[in-house]
Amino acid sequence: MLKLLHFCQWIYQTPLSVSIRESTWTFPIIETIHTLGIVLVAGTIAIFDVRLLGLLLKRTRVSHIARNVLPLTWTGFGVMFVTGLLLFISESATNYFNFAFRIKLLLLLLVGLNTLLFHLTVYRRVESWDLAEVTPLHARAAATCSLLLWTGIIISGRMIAYLH
Amino acid sequence: MSLLPFFHWLAVTHLGIAMRDSTWAFAIVEIIHLVVLAIFGGSVLFLDLRFMGLGFRSVSAPEMAREMLPITAGGAIAMFLTGFLLLISGPMRYYYNTPFRAKMVLFFSAVIFHFVLQASIARSRTQSDRATVVHRVSAVISLLLWSAVGLSGRAIGYF
Repeated sequence: MLKLLHFCQWIYQTPLSVSIRESTWTFPIIETIHTLGIVLVAGTIAIFDVRLLGLLLKRTRVSHIARNVLPLTWTGFGVMFVTGLLLFISESATNYFNFAFRIKLLLLLLVGLNTLLFHLTVYRRVESWDLAEVTPLHARAAATCSLLLWTGIIISGRMIAYLH
Repeated sequence: MSLLPFFHWLAVTHLGIAMRDSTWAFAIVEIIHLVVLAIFGGSVLFLDLRFMGLGFRSVSAPEMAREMLPITAGGAIAMFLTGFLLLISGPMRYYYNTPFRAKMVLFFSAVIFHFVLQASIARSRTQSDRATVVHRVSAVISLLLWSAVGLSGRAIGYF
């Protein structure tokens, strides 16, 4: 793990990292975009999950919601990834030791696996349950995991600054 | 009429003192405010895009407006309540905070504008897929208002 720490410290002294850190407004602006990007990623995913749980838009095809929501989700994900990376670059040496940051990375990995698993398994057969009000158990389980994990990601993300 | 006496009074209420004295209350409420923002913001965005006629042709705009009402109305109420708890933890700090004042004006404007729009579309009987110009423009205004609420909210912490 020492190599990872050295890598974070190396990032910390790069001109990009220093310039974000030393500017008055760069960090707040990036952070604002990152925060409001939550709406695009977590918000649109939540709508899809809520449909999988049969709580909303019950008469709408699951695949229609996915098709309409996914471009927004991916746009948001791109925005979150780029801004998040810049925030990390500016604080890499301290983030390395931040407990909330470590939890957040772990949760992001888990949410990625959850989504991958969902798309490779139960979502492949979506034609057979596209209009079902009560979706298959695996779909509901994936939706519940997704909602819990994204909540955890928002909580741990906010906690990074509180533990700073 | 100034709201100053009201803010002074808020600061000395039991709830205000409890929020101020607790170590973690503010952090916990702020995180809830943020989690609700994700769901609320997502549904407003989704709905306004539908009103603009962008995507989601399979569900009519009136049906979408009705379906989403519990989540948008519930979200707005939850945002208001958690926001109020944050305010009461230090009313005087917020009273003199310019982004906070701007946010309150924007928030109440957005609430009125958005819900009048959502309710009127929910009640309309048109089965047409085409969004009217009035609805499109209104949806854009709604999105701009909510974005301004979010931006001024984020700015509170920086001033």
